[in-house]
Formats: sequence, C-alpha cells, structure tokens
Amino acid sequence: MTAAPAADGPEWRLLLPLGAFFVLFFAAPLIVLLLVSLSDGLALNAFSLTHYARFLSDSFSLSILVDTLALGAKATAVCLLFGLPVAWVCVHASPRLRSLLLFLVILPILTSVVVRTFAWIVILGQQGILNKTFLSLGLIDAPLRLLFSEVGVVMVLAQVQMPLMVLPLITTLQRIDPNLADASRALGAGHWRTFRRVILPLWLPGLVAGCILVFAACTTAFVTQTLIGGARLVYMPLYIYQQAAGANNWPFAAAMSVLLMISVLLVVYLLNLCGRSRWATRHG
Amino acid sequence: MSRRVGRRDFLRAGVAAGALALLPRGAPAAEPLVVATFPGTWNEAHRDVLAPYFRKKTGADVIQTIMLATDQVAKLEAAHGKPPFDVAIMDEGPLLDAVKAGVLEKYPVEKSPNYKDLVPAFQDPWGPKISLQVIGIGFNPKKIKERPKSWNDLFNPAYKGRVGLTALNSTLGMAFMVDLAKTRGGGESDIEPAFKALKELLPSVGAISANLGAHAALFQQEQIDIAPYNFNFVQTLKEKGVDIDFATLDTGIPAWRTSLHVVKNAVQPDLAVQYIDAHISPEVQEDMERSPYWVIPTNRKVPLKGEIVKQVAKSQDDLAKLKYQDWVKINQHRSEWIERFNRDIKL
Amino acid sequence: MARTRLLDLDRMSFRFVVGALAAIAFFFLIFPTLIVLLTSFTSTASLRFPPPGYSLRWYAALLDARQMQQAALNSLKVAIAATALSILLGTSGALAIGRSTARWAKILDSIFMSPLLLPALAFGFAALLYFSLIGVPLSLATLVLGHVAVCVPFVLRTTIASLAQLDPALLDASLSLGAGRFFTFRRITLPLIGRGIAAGAFLAFMASFDNVPVSLFLTDARTEVLPIHLWQIIDTDLDVRTAAASGLLILATIALMAAAERFAGLSKQLH
Repeated sequence: MTAAPAADGPEWRLLLPLGAFFVLFFAAPLIVLLLVSLSDGLALNAFSLTHYARFLSDSFSLSILVDTLALGAKATAVCLLFGLPVAWVCVHASPRLRSLLLFLVILPILTSVVVRTFAWIVILGQQGILNKTFLSLGLIDAPLRLLFSEVGVVMVLAQVQMPLMVLPLITTLQRIDPNLADASRALGAGHWRTFRRVILPLWLPGLVAGCILVFAACTTAFVTQTLIGGARLVYMPLYIYQQAAGANNWPFAAAMSVLLMISVLLVVYLLNLCGRSRWATRHG
Repeated sequence: MSRRVGRRDFLRAGVAAGALALLPRGAPAAEPLVVATFPGTWNEAHRDVLAPYFRKKTGADVIQTIMLATDQVAKLEAAHGKPPFDVAIMDEGPLLDAVKAGVLEKYPVEKSPNYKDLVPAFQDPWGPKISLQVIGIGFNPKKIKERPKSWNDLFNPAYKGRVGLTALNSTLGMAFMVDLAKTRGGGESDIEPAFKALKELLPSVGAISANLGAHAALFQQEQIDIAPYNFNFVQTLKEKGVDIDFATLDTGIPAWRTSLHVVKNAVQPDLAVQYIDAHISPEVQEDMERSPYWVIPTNRKVPLKGEIVKQVAKSQDDLAKLKYQDWVKINQHRSEWIERFNRDIKL
Repeated sequence: MARTRLLDLDRMSFRFVVGALAAIAFFFLIFPTLIVLLTSFTSTASLRFPPPGYSLRWYAALLDARQMQQAALNSLKVAIAATALSILLGTSGALAIGRSTARWAKILDSIFMSPLLLPALAFGFAALLYFSLIGVPLSLATLVLGHVAVCVPFVLRTTIASLAQLDPALLDASLSLGAGRFFTFRRITLPLIGRGIAAGAFLAFMASFDNVPVSLFLTDARTEVLPIHLWQIIDTDLDVRTAAASGLLILATIALMAAAERFAGLSKQLH
C-alpha cells in the first residue's frame, strides 16, 4: 500500500549510492585506522596491542583522556543550564520575536569556529573586556587568568556549541502538548512543580539529544581547545595531532584516535540509556 | 506558484555563481612557489620584502606555509613523492635531522650568483645561511623598570605570574634550556640544571606559548611581561606599538644560524633556487636590515647597522664570537627533552 | 488569598530565573561576534577592545592578501562540490530509508548519521591513512570526499524530516491516476521535499566551508583552505587582518542565512 516492502527493488537501488560511498570513504578509513593502530605503520606488519598498552599504562596519557572527557562533561553541563531557558524563551515567544531569536541561535553554528574562538581571545585576555569590566566594577582586585585556563576553555566551548543544544531542545519542547502544563497548573501545581513533574520528563529525549551532540562536539573541538587552552592544557585532539603530524608516530596516534572514539561512543550510549530510563517512560 | 519560481531562480543563480567560481582567474605569469617560513618577523619579512622582490624578478607569486623547522622535517619525511613545499627554512638543529633524513637537495651553487658574496662562515653545501638569530630577554619596559641582565631575572619573585616560556619544539625554547643549563654549570651534555631550574620557575610562569608566533601574542595581549625571546621578534613587536624591549644577557649572547634549502623532488626546483638566491642578494638583505625586521645580514656587501650594532655585534667578524650551541649533541636528546618538558609543564 | 500570592511568587520566580539565564545566554551568543566586527575596524596593528581608533585599513589590506584569497577560493570550490555530492547521495539515501518504518531503516539511519557523533579529528586522520595506504595523493578531490562524509548527514536529516511530513496519500493518488514512479517523484515528491533538501544543503555547505578537523589532515600548503589559513595566522601572529577576514565571513554568513531563510524557510526546517 503506502510503505514499500523492505526488499523492494527501487529502494535498494536508491540506497546504493549513499551506501557505496559510506563503505568506501567512511567505513574503510575507519577500518584502516583500526588496523594501523594494531600494527607498526602503513606496511601493516606485526600485529599487537603495544600502542594501546603504552597509552593505557602511562598516567600522563590517561590523564589527558580523562581531562578531555571531563572537559566535555563540564561544557555540556553549562550548555544544558543555559540552553533550557533559551529554548523555553524561543518556544514561548511571539512569532516575530521567535524568528529573530532563532536567527541569533543559529548564526553561531554557521560562523567559522576559528572566527568565534578568535573573538574570545580578545574578550578573555588580561587586558580583555571581561577583566576590564570586572576591575572597573570592583568585583576583583587583579585580572583573572581566564585565557589558558580550564575555566576559559569551558566557557568558550559552551558558547560555541550552545546552538547544538538549543535546537533539539526547541524541537522536542514544541511537540509537548501545552494543555498538559495548563491542566497541571489548573490542578494547583505551581510553575516549578509543573516543570519538574510534567515538562521535564517529556522533554528528556530532547535533552539527551542535545547533550549527546554537544558532548561529541566538545571532546573533538581542536581549534577551541588549543587556542584558548594554550600549551599547558593538553587534550586528546592536540595530543593526537602532535603525534600524527608532528612526530609522525602514526600507529600510536591511531591507537589514541580509536580510544577517543570508543570513549565518546560509550558516553553517548550511556546518555541514550538515561533517555530511555524508567523515569522517562513512566512520566513520558 | 510565484514562491516556487523564486526558489528555482535562486538555485539557478547559485549554480551559475558556483560555475563562475570554478573558472580559473586570469592566468598568472607562473605557478606560485610554495615555501616554508617561520612565524613572527620571518613570515612578515618574507611576505613584505622577499616576495615582492621575487615577483618582480620572476613574475611568480609565493604561497607561504608557516611552520617550525621540526614540523617541516616531519612533514617532508611523511610526504612520499610530492613534498608539501619547495623551499625549507631550517635552524641548525633540525637541519642536521633533515640532512640525515635525506629530504633536502644539495644547493646548486652554480645557479646562485649571490652565493659567492656570502661571508664564508655562512656558506654551506646544503643551503646558504640567510641570517643569524640571537636570543635574550624580552620584557615590558612599562612594567619592569630595571633592565634584566641574565636568566636569573626570570626567577625574581617580583615577577611572579608574569613570566613567559615557550615550548621546546622551537629553537628558541631549546636554545634557552641549553643556555640556562650552561649558566648553572651544565650544558648540552648535562641538561639537569635546566630542568631543575624549570621546576623552580613553573609557579611563577604566567603562560607558555606552544610556538613562537603565539609568544608574540602573549606580549601583545599583556599576558606576560618577561620571557626569553629572539632579538628580531622583539623589534618587530616594538614597531607595532607593543610595550616590549630587548635585553642582552651579560652571560653571553646565544645565537644560531638559519638557512634556506631546496627540498628533494621539489615541484619547481629552479624557482626555488631563485627564491633562495633572492634572499641572499644585497638588495633584499639590506631591505630586511631595518625596522621593523632587523634581520642580521650574511652577505659581505651589507654592513651591520642600527639596532644590530647597538645590541648584538659591531661588525661581521664579531658575529663569529657569539655563543653557539652543539646541535649534534642536542639532537641526540631532542625528543626525550621535548617529551620531558611537555610532561613537566602540564597543569 | 495567601494561596494566590504564593502562586504569584512561584510564577514570578520561575519567569525571573528563566528570563535571566536566557538573557545571559543570548548576550554571550552574540557578544563575541559583535566584538570581532568592531575590532576589525581598528586603526592600530594590535588587537585591543575597544579599538583606540577606527579605520578600514585592514579590510583594504585583504585586497592584497593573495594567499588568503586563494584559500577562500579553494574553500568555496570544495564546499560547492561537497554540497552537490551530498545532495545527490543524501536525497537518494533519504528516499530509500525515510519512508520505511522497518527496523533495518532505523539502523541504517543511525549508521549514516554517525559521522556527526564520531570525533571528526579521528576521522580526518583515518582518511589520511586510508588515502596514503591506497596510494592516492592528496588533492582538492580527496578533500571533497572527506568533507562529504561529514556533510551528508545534514542533508539526510532534513530530507528525512521533510519526507516524514509528506502525505503518502498524495503519492497514491498520483500513481493511481496513471503517473509513473519517476514522474511522481519529479512532480510531486521533489517539490514538496525541496525545502528540506535546500535547508540540508545550506547546512552541508557551511559545514564544509568551515570544516577544520578533516581539513587539518587532508590539506597542505598547496591546497590550503580558509579556516586552516586563518587558524595558522591566529596561532602564529594575531594579525589584525584575521579580524577583517572574520568580519567579512560573518557578514557573508548573515547574508547567506537571510537568503536561506527567504527561499528555503531555514528556521522552520531546523526545528
């Protein structure tokens, strides 16, 4: 009738271009990455786990991986904290204001990440706007170290990736029936209670989607981490790049890349589980 | 109806614009030459003095790739066949690695008319030395009233949080560590005094730049007030209006030679030689030996003057008396020291 | 009485918190962009805010920035090619899996969207290893292939969303009236999902033009693209021309976005 049967001819023919491309230019490179990480170079001799062992037994390297995941978590948390109100305001605003607000939300994604990070260098420096303002307001006595500090990196990452959090939040919030909130308040529950007991559980799929996208983006945000972090804050992307391009240590860099991918996918999987938790299905 | 027409028009216009963008622009005189250059004073001097002179002589444009010498060697080793650039710029240490890795061509002296005019100490079969780099202390004269005299001034508790350092992948970083060791009883064979001093210094450090160019930004944005720095780079920043001045060390001026080379399997080897020859020509060297670059000349026909005479050496013979390093010894330990440095500085 | 006042406090505190947090967030969303624009008009060679004086000298300097222009041209070529390829692959793929609710369709959907989740840096490095292994030298063509892998999910996502809103009854009506499958596709399906494809294409174009992690590994000085060139300058120089180039990019992005909004209803497609 309407939905074509799974093994229909035309469907497979339509799938072929994208499928072939994926196999040749996405799956194949990843397989090569895995193979190189298990051997000694492009010649692919001597298969072993030495590079993985070397990474996992070295506390310096492990600390870099942990720091990267922690950075992603912190930036995601900040994004969530500010993303929820932004999405709320966008959805509840008047139609004309909404277009403007959406424009403000989308514009950052479309501006080059180099440009956006560059702006923050001017803002966060010792002589930057933020410090000058705080000093003149008397909030601090001496300029804060924001540039080249983890606080700075988290701030910039959160701002740069915020749209990735807000867009799924808006999509999901719009699908929640407004009558539910009205009914809840008519029954006497306050705004906060309604939010916590009615809106939030229904909103959870959007939150999870936003968190996944932001976390994935933050852990791999090479430009932001290096420009704002400097030489003393080393995260996985810079470490991989240093080994791959600077030291030509391809097998070790490949092992690190695989470990980074596995870590990110693990977190994504856990976040997905949260989204399908009993709490969500009970209230959803 | 009208809406759909509008969209189709837009798509058509977009395709047309795309097609136009893909058409080649008016053909240049020759394919551009791709060269490597160092950040800071170097890429500016090469862009503003050397490239125009080169274009006038050969009609070819120059594309710069800004890379430290160690990275250039790595990229050349990784490229099988077509190198990513035709002209390499090397400091003494990485040059030894590059020669060992076999990624450079011997310099065709017969094709380079200006080569014979070089001071003999600056001639080399692998490529001419185009200049000397000397290091000392860069400091902000508005914040630091007393002129620094030696590396010990970096350890002054009054400058806590305002001291800058740079990573060891640049020659500035490496030469600094070696010289620091020398002033404390060590040297190329015994780097321990330097690493011990580093541990002492770290709490005072304001920022560590990952490479030379970022070092300039630290001063420009006033993140640091005092740091080891190259003579040239300090002058260039000063001309840009940044509060910075150069202090020579009374323990002796560390220096090293910088050279240009033709890369093996270069796409345009003849243009590459002409580019290098242009750099050692008296016109270019004289033009670079002024504000804001102050590149020390190596051509006999160009006398030393200005800031160079004031702060570095009075004549070309004096240049031979500066403090040079044993790069053969340093190269044996380079990766080990870089690794150790990166671990020590990590927050 | 007391109950109404309590509810008022509850409502006001809720609105206050939401409003304040949102205001701070919106401020920080646009603030950096404004800073870049303002700083690009500085008259000095140093990046200070507020600029001590204003001038257009850095925009004028862009006219001489041959290498930057070449990099921008490369970026444009690659983005156009990557977008075109993404449209072809993404639309056909969306048609194949977007209308089916079968399990394999959902699995394929996740697989094709995975480039957005995997660290792009790791994929860029993997692509470099792959091309080196099979002996294909790096060029703008290999760069396009690398970009398509990370851009096609955008087209896929928006086209599938569009297809989901397509009423199957329309297709049935067309087929039962005697129209062939291709005719139906061309005259019924395509126009209706056109806006979805256009929105996805726009996102894919921007994703390619701005891409750093994949370009980092698949380009060199001979095939330089704009983001890498800008990053190299910022990392080595903090040259004010970067601010001018950034200013231009911002203005171009705003113009493109306004066009995409007008012709493809971009904001409606994204949520």
